[in-house]
Amino acid sequence: MSTPNDAPPRIGVDEWVARSGERRDRGSGPSAAIVRALERVGWWQRLAVIAAIVALFPLLTSSDYAVRVGVNTLLLATLALGLNVVVGWTGLLDLGYVAFYGFGAYGFALLSSNQLGSSGIHLPSLLAIVIVVVAAALLGLLLGLPSRRLQGDYLAIVTLFFGQIFVETVTNVAPKVTGGPNGVVGIDPLNFFGLEVTTTRGYFYVLLIVTVVIMGALHLIDSSRTGRGWRAVREDPLAAALMTIPVNKVKLLAFSVGAAVAALAGTIFAAFQAGAYPTDFDTPFLILVYAGVILGGSGSIAGAVLGATVVSVTLELLRNPSQAATLFYGLILLTLVVRVRPWRKLGAVLAALVAFGFAVHAVIGAISASAVAGHPRSGGWVGDALGSWVVVPADPKGPGNIAFVVLILGLVALVQLKGTARTVLLVPLLYLAAFVWETRLVAEASITRQILLGAILIVMMNARPQGLLGSKRVEVL
Amino acid sequence: MTRPLLELDHVTLAFGGLHAVEDLSIAVGEGEIVSLIGPNGAGKTTLFNLITGVYAPTSGDIRVAGRSIAGLAPHRIAGLGVARTFQTLRLFVNMSVKENVMAATYGHTSARMWQSVLRTPKARREEREVNALAEEVLGFFSQRLMGYRWDQPAYSLSYANRRRLEIARAMATRPRVLLIDEPAAGMNPQETHEITDLIARLRDERGYTILAIEHDMHVVEGISDRVIALDHGQKIAEGSFEAVATNPLVVEAYMGRGTAVTKG
Amino acid sequence: MTFFLQQVVDGLTTGSVYALIALGYSMVYGVLKLLNFAHGDIYMVGAFIGYFVLQAFGGATALVAPVAVVLIAMFAAAALGAGLLGVGIERFAYRPLRESPRIAPLITALGVSFFLENAVLLLFGSETRLYSTSSFIPFSTGVHVAGVNISLVRILVVVLAAVLMVGLRVLVERTRLGKAMRAVAFDREAAEMMGIQVDRTISATFFIGSALAGVAGVMAGLVFDQVFSLMGFIAGLKAFTAAVVGGIGNVPGAMLGGLLIGLAESFATGYISSTFQNLIVFGILIGVMLLRPNGLLGRATLQKV
Repeated sequence: MSTPNDAPPRIGVDEWVARSGERRDRGSGPSAAIVRALERVGWWQRLAVIAAIVALFPLLTSSDYAVRVGVNTLLLATLALGLNVVVGWTGLLDLGYVAFYGFGAYGFALLSSNQLGSSGIHLPSLLAIVIVVVAAALLGLLLGLPSRRLQGDYLAIVTLFFGQIFVETVTNVAPKVTGGPNGVVGIDPLNFFGLEVTTTRGYFYVLLIVTVVIMGALHLIDSSRTGRGWRAVREDPLAAALMTIPVNKVKLLAFSVGAAVAALAGTIFAAFQAGAYPTDFDTPFLILVYAGVILGGSGSIAGAVLGATVVSVTLELLRNPSQAATLFYGLILLTLVVRVRPWRKLGAVLAALVAFGFAVHAVIGAISASAVAGHPRSGGWVGDALGSWVVVPADPKGPGNIAFVVLILGLVALVQLKGTARTVLLVPLLYLAAFVWETRLVAEASITRQILLGAILIVMMNARPQGLLGSKRVEVL
Repeated sequence: MTRPLLELDHVTLAFGGLHAVEDLSIAVGEGEIVSLIGPNGAGKTTLFNLITGVYAPTSGDIRVAGRSIAGLAPHRIAGLGVARTFQTLRLFVNMSVKENVMAATYGHTSARMWQSVLRTPKARREEREVNALAEEVLGFFSQRLMGYRWDQPAYSLSYANRRRLEIARAMATRPRVLLIDEPAAGMNPQETHEITDLIARLRDERGYTILAIEHDMHVVEGISDRVIALDHGQKIAEGSFEAVATNPLVVEAYMGRGTAVTKG
Repeated sequence: MTFFLQQVVDGLTTGSVYALIALGYSMVYGVLKLLNFAHGDIYMVGAFIGYFVLQAFGGATALVAPVAVVLIAMFAAAALGAGLLGVGIERFAYRPLRESPRIAPLITALGVSFFLENAVLLLFGSETRLYSTSSFIPFSTGVHVAGVNISLVRILVVVLAAVLMVGLRVLVERTRLGKAMRAVAFDREAAEMMGIQVDRTISATFFIGSALAGVAGVMAGLVFDQVFSLMGFIAGLKAFTAAVVGGIGNVPGAMLGGLLIGLAESFATGYISSTFQNLIVFGILIGVMLLRPNGLLGRATLQKV
């Protein structure tokens, strides 16, 4: 079931009948043929094809860094899949989710290192993983207990608190056991029946298998009794109960499954890093996982994976100044191309923007030499090209900060305006954005990441709550 | 009558000082269609909420087939054969028509999550049965909820069809007693006529015992074996439609004090 | 004994700060049924505003104006700035989502909170700023009671908080705006139909709640000295606990809850260890939610099915 277009679903309108004309018209052209072919291919076939393509990735690159990014992406995708069960399907806002990830990591760490006892515990990996995952499922049940009585908002805060407590406990309480702020180190690598996984590539494939298996399992559950139960509870818990669904048990099951998936990811993470540290499981990481799920579309299995991939790759690109520049300006251009229609208008905006930039640069340069003495921080060819267009003062921090605040206010104003006024405001605002980017954001890459994540959540909820691949929901309040 | 299927035994529901339902005793025999009438705020939907377990009675007992259900959790009561529809529709709007009905079979099925993942023979068999049940139940409404409609999201149905779907969903819980809350609300005369037929068929073809809240007196007259009138949480009349409709207390409840006095 | 009394003093001071933040939480929840995660960060912004005003007057060690003037300026600026920030957030992040399912504004609030924390980090850097209160209000000034030193700063904080809370009580119970707030909290649609300007009332509620948080931020700076971008997070969680303990949506409840949490925290730090501070507060939250979900002063609300 899918709503192919952006038009909002309407209550009482039979979409299938209403769209029959559309369906006929969509017929011709190569893009339509591709779409039709895709729709005919089954879900499993699509999964197999994509998994095969992804499996080729480590073989196509010699950069260990790239494969490492792949590993992190797959970890995030697994987490997103688990969170999707809790938030997307069952509608429970669990803000302590990352604590289960941490539980998995620490659990595995304690069972596969020298941390406990005189020479530590070194269980075979499979055994350790099973123990930890089962324990996490039980912990998920425990945490889910308050959800029986709590409405969405309360549950959110309680789980947020719980996540915070986890990090604090692991950092401060019983440092002998958990290693305190320095965490647990010296964790055994994954060990399956004599085969040790020690290379990044190895972990990539382990995670790929895990991700694919979880996706498959979730797909099967989605169209099963359990899946229907979860979704009915999200739709209307009271009606669900009156239709024989044991709402509390269903919620607890969701928590449990989510926790188990997160813990599984945690075990592999700990083995991969050969360490478990408290700072890995704090709130910023939680926001990362949520951004992935929200962006991709909560309620959609493919969406969770896609969102996680986009978020993970984007953030990675932001680390490198020249890649970041390509990403930033590329994204802006893309948005303009998609949102500004017709072509003439787009051309006008771009031309105006270029002219505006050069003009401002010339004027300010004439007034004060030091105001343009700096060099754009973006690396590579982009930075060079921008040299005469963007104004970069010798000391960029102060003006950059002020511009940042002005930019936010400007964006807010932009959203309120319509028509010509909006298009006119767009030009200086875009220039301002470039200015802020060059003066402040590039320099503070890690903060920019976080700001971007926060922005993703805000913008997605306001503009496209169903995410990239989710279907638009109707809410009867 | 032989032991009634649904019994309320001196049920009272009090919220602090407010008595939503006061010392109410009702008995519904198997196969009966009983209508519940009364002005707004009389306690009719509250009564449904009491029977289905949304509220627990402050005092008194509720029994289904002799078994006390007062204080049980709603999903348990539903599992024991009491199903309902809602005054303002409460469908699972973003789920498909078929899924709405299939979801309601949860309490009577037992496929665990791991069994569904591993596609055990038992899980597959159960899924087939649930599928067949859903199709059969939806078929009760002639062609209106059939064919391509099965995979349509529930929100895309017309109002009348959504009401029918809600009844279908209730039917999927294999009820013995069906509580229908204002089935004809918002319907035009043609649809109202169909609903009246539908309710009769529900009893005749499926053997459900039906308790219906309704304001439209044509419908009440057309379907009821017996009518019970409520006002301010208390039963004020009970009997055949003619008896209750002309009962002065009932007229007064609807029209106000003093109107029951005959003119002249 | 003096140790005990010292804990009480500390607890009441901290509690007053929490109470002010909790009030904002409660008020906003009352009118919008939304838990504004970003509320704690508004408190943080208030603390920063106070700091910068202090610097504008020459800094802790070289004030160019009388202390009283500086303090008034700090509180006023923080209240105004935080209030406007709150109104802005409501207007642009939450208002478009009024008809959306509850999960949408919650996630947006999460995003706003994260965004604020990092924007402040970007603008002002990660180093902790210090109010250095003792430089302009010496610790020794104050009152000695039963061997316990109650510094002027603490007295100021508790008294100001009390005044504000009483003022708020009067506002809610005696003024037209207060009545409008209570009406909107009870039933927004009905209030609108009765001619109440719902949007304006909600904005006013946000302004007041956020202004109180801003004032609390300056108080925190004065008492605890440290101001940093993440200070709102944990304070927000504790203030939320306070609001829930007292009964969410309930103004006297938030005050009571705040004081209780402050005292609990103080005693925990004093008699057990500061490591377990947050754990104990969390435990209180869970306990209240499971045993008395409507809080100490809250009332169960009926829901029409």
